[in-house]
Amino acid sequence: MNGLAILAVDDEPRALADVKRLLENSSSVDRVATATSAKEALVYLSGGKYDALFLDVQMPEIEGMALARLLRRFADPPAVVFLTGHPDAAVEAFEVQALDFLIKPVSRERLDAALRRVADHARPAPAGASESPGDGNGGGDGMTPSRPDVVAVDNPKGGGKRLVRLETIQAAQANGDYARIVCDDGRYLLRTPLTQLEKDWTPLGFARVHRAWLVNLAHAVELRAQQNGTAVLVLRDGTEIPVARRNVAALRRRLNA
Amino acid sequence: MEDFAAADRAPSGQPPVSVHFVNNVLAAAAGYIEDDPDEARDVLALLSQFLSYRLRAAPGTVTVEGEMEHVATYLRLEQARFPDRIVVELPGAADLPDASVPRAAIQAPLAEALDRRLGQRAGPCRLTLRVRPGRPELDLELGTPGEVPAGAEHVRIVLAAQAVDAA
Repeated sequence: MNGLAILAVDDEPRALADVKRLLENSSSVDRVATATSAKEALVYLSGGKYDALFLDVQMPEIEGMALARLLRRFADPPAVVFLTGHPDAAVEAFEVQALDFLIKPVSRERLDAALRRVADHARPAPAGASESPGDGNGGGDGMTPSRPDVVAVDNPKGGGKRLVRLETIQAAQANGDYARIVCDDGRYLLRTPLTQLEKDWTPLGFARVHRAWLVNLAHAVELRAQQNGTAVLVLRDGTEIPVARRNVAALRRRLNA
Repeated sequence: MEDFAAADRAPSGQPPVSVHFVNNVLAAAAGYIEDDPDEARDVLALLSQFLSYRLRAAPGTVTVEGEMEHVATYLRLEQARFPDRIVVELPGAADLPDASVPRAAIQAPLAEALDRRLGQRAGPCRLTLRVRPGRPELDLELGTPGEVPAGAEHVRIVLAAQAVDAA
């Protein structure tokens, strides 16, 4: 079997019929099973292997989030893609490490992007293979720890988590073991060291330009050389980010500057 | 018995439309397109009716009868989402009090109770809405078809105190 095996779970039969039809019409999918409850889904999972669950959030008795948490205890769990009418559930979905998060009714284009993620997850690229920034998913609302479109940061207003789209992040600044994320709409704390962000985000268009700064090059508009061999990277909104001397050459190469 | 005083709940006009509900109705409509396009169209027309009522800029109150038509539209949409799962019994127009209520004063608490019920229990649900004689209240009963009403959940929806003209 070359295609994906998908289990779609939703207590709303017509919505389930819709996603089943969409999945069956996808060339990347070989097999689609459907379940109308989490219990029924567990029965399917005990009898066969699936590459991914397309999972509703709100269901009677066992909710989708609870099922997703349960699946994390499996030795080889299927990927979870939430498909829900609840836009507000995205933060929780991120916390249970869902591969993607789709809002019902989903477009074919968005579903195809999710299926590409599932395929990548089911069959990881060989070591050394190049990654394509953004995954070509058209700016979907998905998430994955290694190639995120969305980052959950601490919400300074009222606690909890706030979802920040990666493309809106201008830069990340080292802040001890954490990073301060500079976005179009404010600054947030991310509980991840800058060195880890550098590893995760460099393939996605970011560059480490200074011991304290990781910059989203999509926001850069000018590289201004300084007399002492350092440089300043100017962002769209006028923010100036220092570029360390030892990073200037690599940055010039990357920008063809 | 849970109490719901609509006027207390919506001091600024009316409760917001649930995005979750709208998205799920649209998903259900998409699910009908292939094998029952007429029903798909009806669902979209009913959703249009629902949203037109709820998103109207005109503030203020509506008649109980008008609000009950909105309740019926809402329940028809829920039945489209959950075919064969929701049995509905609503009071006749002649039994309704001649009163005014805030827009969605009945539909919003009813939706909240039904959503909770469907989320907690699988299987069919019987929804009965009754006018309480001589009182500005409606009694919402949520039970299981075929089971004794004693086991059902009750929600009291209190209408505006001055609007008393119950049958």
